[in-house]
Amino acid sequence: MITIVEGAERDRHPALIDEMFRMRAAVFADRLEWDVSVTNGREVDRFDAEDPLYLLSLDDRTGALQGAVRLLPTTGPNMLRDVFPVLVPGGAPASPLIWESSRFAVNPAAFNAYERAEANHVVNRTTIELLCGIVEVCQRAGIEHVVSVFDARMARIFRTIDCAFEVIGAPTRIGRTMTYAGIFDMSDAMRERLGEAGRLLAPVLAPVDPRQTPAPASSD
Amino acid sequence: MNRRDRNSDDLELFELLEKLGELTDATGIPELLGRLLDIYGLKTVAYLGSGVTAQPGQSPYLAVTYSNEWVDHYKAQRFVDIDPTVQIGMRRMLPIDWDELDRADEDVRRLFGEAKEFGLGRRGISLPVHGQHGDRALVSITSDASDRDWRYLRLHYMRDFQMLALHMHQAILRLEGKTVEQARLSPRERECLLWVAEGKTAWETAVILGLSEHTVRCYLESARHKLGAANNTHAVNKAGKVGLLTQLP
Repeated sequence: MITIVEGAERDRHPALIDEMFRMRAAVFADRLEWDVSVTNGREVDRFDAEDPLYLLSLDDRTGALQGAVRLLPTTGPNMLRDVFPVLVPGGAPASPLIWESSRFAVNPAAFNAYERAEANHVVNRTTIELLCGIVEVCQRAGIEHVVSVFDARMARIFRTIDCAFEVIGAPTRIGRTMTYAGIFDMSDAMRERLGEAGRLLAPVLAPVDPRQTPAPASSD
Repeated sequence: MNRRDRNSDDLELFELLEKLGELTDATGIPELLGRLLDIYGLKTVAYLGSGVTAQPGQSPYLAVTYSNEWVDHYKAQRFVDIDPTVQIGMRRMLPIDWDELDRADEDVRRLFGEAKEFGLGRRGISLPVHGQHGDRALVSITSDASDRDWRYLRLHYMRDFQMLALHMHQAILRLEGKTVEQARLSPRERECLLWVAEGKTAWETAVILGLSEHTVRCYLESARHKLGAANNTHAVNKAGKVGLLTQLP
């Protein structure tokens, strides 16, 4: 299941959010060796201070963090506009109907032995669940498209699972890898294709129930 | 979800966005908000903006159709301290459907109960706006729609008010003397507009440019936003006026 956490309300889930920042350090600094800043074992950047929306994939049984992604509006500060303008020489898309996704990560600790062995061939179920979550949450808010910056590795994954995207601007080699900006359609058709790829036909977003939301003072 | 071409059937949204773009002083706001209530069949609409005035430390900017009695009562009761939409709404990304608010708190129940007595609708949505430079806003609408109608209406409101809320915010920034940076159109955005100006549909444009239809729609969406236009025709007009369409790559 996917749990939604508003950046503005992260104090309601301090343990989960901390776990996410540590997972991001493990994925983006340690494994992918991106140029990100890690403090006290946690990867946090300035966009985390812009009240983004986090989608967290939690194990249905144990509640363990399996993966996460961050969403930002394209009308405000976002990575494509402010960090990767080189990818969009003509200017980044900006619209109240377009959000940006970034820091897409699957927890290396959550891979099982089989998936680790097959990591290059099998697309992790958590990846597809997070993508389904993005489509569902966008539809909930009236958002029609998502833009994202991603590398060649993610581009291969998207193609494997029929997650259609279109490259915008000019793909550029950044560090060791080709980097792309792409746009994704948040349609029912997109959700159906992902659902088939991941056998995730039922909604992945946890239903909204205010009574189950812990009060700001309590912890996870 | 229904993805209509906005050219054909969003004339009223277009009219509102255009009027917002043409506002020259704050005295025109009440009439415009009234028109908005008529068009959408709403009980109330309220705009709350933060970081929109030139002076720092100013109280939030308020433009509402609420009665003076409700505004006075709200202030006297210090409802702002307990109002869950205001407390967190402006910093959220997801709109708040008031049905989803936790009414367990007695003060919150009282707030919504009294709001009804003062003419607010039974149902409400609050949409946050994230501006270019950390400026924020929250636009709240209320309605007395029936349960059945609401299921359809709320999706319709979500999409239209994502646009209306941002345009309201930009209009108020402009009235407050803040410059809204005119984002540049990308070559693809210009290309798509150019073909639309030639009378091509999004689908035809997609075929011509070798893109998917959804990508073309995305470029057009972004172009409309950057130009402050409600629909493609309006965007083509505006782009034409400032000579953008002649600068094809």
